[in-house]
Amino acid sequence: MKLLARTNLYYIFFSAITYILVAGAFYLVIEYVVYQEVEKRLVVERHDFENFVGAHGMWEESCYFVENKITLSALRTLEPYVAEFKDTALYDRYSAQLVPFRQYSFPATIGGINYKVSIRKSLIESNDLLMYITGTMLILLSIGLLLLFLFQRRISKTIWKPFYDTLSKAKSFGLTKGKGLTLQQEDIHEFNELNAVLDKMTTKMALDYKNLKEFTENASHEIQTPLALISSRVEELIQQKNFTPEQMYWIENIHQSTLRLSRLHQALLLLAKIDNGQFYEHEHINLTSVAEKKLAEWEELFLLKKLAINIESSGNLVVEMNATLAEILISNLIGNAQKHNLPGGSITLRSSAKNLVIQNPGAALSKDPGQLFQRFAKQNQTSDSLGLGLAIVKRICETYDLTIEYTYQAPLHTITVSVPS
Amino acid sequence: MKILVIEDEKGLAESIAAHLQKDGFIAEAVGTFADAIEKINLYSYDCIIVDLNLPDGVGFDIVNALKKISSSTGIIIISARDALEDKIRSLEIGSDDYLTKPFHLSELNARVKSLLRRRNFGGSNEITYNEIRVNYVSRKVFVDNTEVALSRKEYDLLLYFLSNINVALTKAAMAEHLWGDNIDSTDSFDIVYSHIKNLRKKLTDKGCSDYIQSIYGIGYKFGEK
Repeated sequence: MKLLARTNLYYIFFSAITYILVAGAFYLVIEYVVYQEVEKRLVVERHDFENFVGAHGMWEESCYFVENKITLSALRTLEPYVAEFKDTALYDRYSAQLVPFRQYSFPATIGGINYKVSIRKSLIESNDLLMYITGTMLILLSIGLLLLFLFQRRISKTIWKPFYDTLSKAKSFGLTKGKGLTLQQEDIHEFNELNAVLDKMTTKMALDYKNLKEFTENASHEIQTPLALISSRVEELIQQKNFTPEQMYWIENIHQSTLRLSRLHQALLLLAKIDNGQFYEHEHINLTSVAEKKLAEWEELFLLKKLAINIESSGNLVVEMNATLAEILISNLIGNAQKHNLPGGSITLRSSAKNLVIQNPGAALSKDPGQLFQRFAKQNQTSDSLGLGLAIVKRICETYDLTIEYTYQAPLHTITVSVPS
Repeated sequence: MKILVIEDEKGLAESIAAHLQKDGFIAEAVGTFADAIEKINLYSYDCIIVDLNLPDGVGFDIVNALKKISSSTGIIIISARDALEDKIRSLEIGSDDYLTKPFHLSELNARVKSLLRRRNFGGSNEITYNEIRVNYVSRKVFVDNTEVALSRKEYDLLLYFLSNINVALTKAAMAEHLWGDNIDSTDSFDIVYSHIKNLRKKLTDKGCSDYIQSIYGIGYKFGEK
């Protein structure tokens, strides 16, 4: 829920409660005042009645006026009747409906007979008054609350604007741009602080990223240069003719190890670069066609190793990713499939819009397939492979939220790369 | 033909220059940005080989400076940085090739020759070595005017040999030249062996002498015994 929606919701909720409470209280107060007034007049009329009875010693129905009816009823018991007020409704013959009355009952003795005297006063005007006053007040209150609501919404929008500006800038922040956010000075202290903190954090992040990137590249340079020197010196050395076969063998060993070291270093650098997110450019890559191209490119190699190639495609797997990494991903997988194949075996490529499967027959696994994704985890520790190929594959898949699965069901090794459903 | 090698690692610069000189090039080596700028202003070269990271400057600036002086000089960039941006940038500013360190000297040699061929410095579209004649425009190979049908890789291999006459070539270097560096060494050796066998057979079948000599434990050499 959005911040403004949430504040509006709170506002409406509390307004509604206030509205109901105020309306109720208002009604009760006015009703109380009206009753007080009516009752006061009823008490005055009781005095009038008692004065009349005291003066004349009797009560005459006709001597009183129409509206405030006074009725007398003889009481059977002699207990003194306690005076009480109560609401009642009487039939009005003019308007043909029940009309509310306030009734005051009290005991009186006229001519030695006990009576219960009831004086009634119509409440109809008072009720109308009550309605009008309450109604008017409620309308005014509604208008007030509505105006207040619009006003506070406006204020919230203005006050939170810098926050939303900062938020949208923070969203578009990218490490690879090499610099932190540049946020404006704001009038509100808290937002200023927020901006300052964000500025500081992002600048530091961008700087760290840049340093790391530079370090990676410099390390690469520093290590590759001596390796290049060793490799070129060895190449010069082998141009000499007067070596014994044994010496030649040593030199070749040095040469091989140098190349291996260089490859290892490049692979580790690649992993570091993926981890640092340095492959930030991405595009729609059709992995199926990358794989088909790779298979075509290595056709001669497969011919030599007598591997049959099967392609079963029911759709193309298209992924948003970096082109270089896509190439590395596919060549590592196909490279593995041919490297760990059986003589006269096959490589099967199956693809759909959801996944890409590379399958090849091979020797039984000595360890859990999942472990082979770890760095330097090799099926055969003495093999001259680097043991980084699948680790790189896994990192690439993780970077682009692809799922990778390795299963072995004798004699087939199956690797499935799929997009999350 | 004159080549300038600009590389701050002295040993590597010497190696490159020595290797090129052996092949008949006039190769000079300098180790700093300032020396390089001075050289290209004073002399004209057919090709320069530039390292990107120099102690007192960046290789890209040398390329830019050279492009202003002489646009016909071939440029090969060598760098320890295997960054795609660098490769793209170097091609954008007019370099002809990009090699990542460490590289094989024979590979550099082949690249230099291919570059000079593309720029047609010799004025001909053919390379000849005794009875072998290769037309690199039509990609056709002749032995004493009889055409030899070679596969793409065999053709590449032959051209690589012809660029490195009498140089001991390691199997690793050949494999990398043919397949790039994303192929495992053990497999690549088998495939190099298989290509060499086929190439040798196709050439000798047409009456060519066998110039391919194997060197025990190392690889092969192309040339007269």
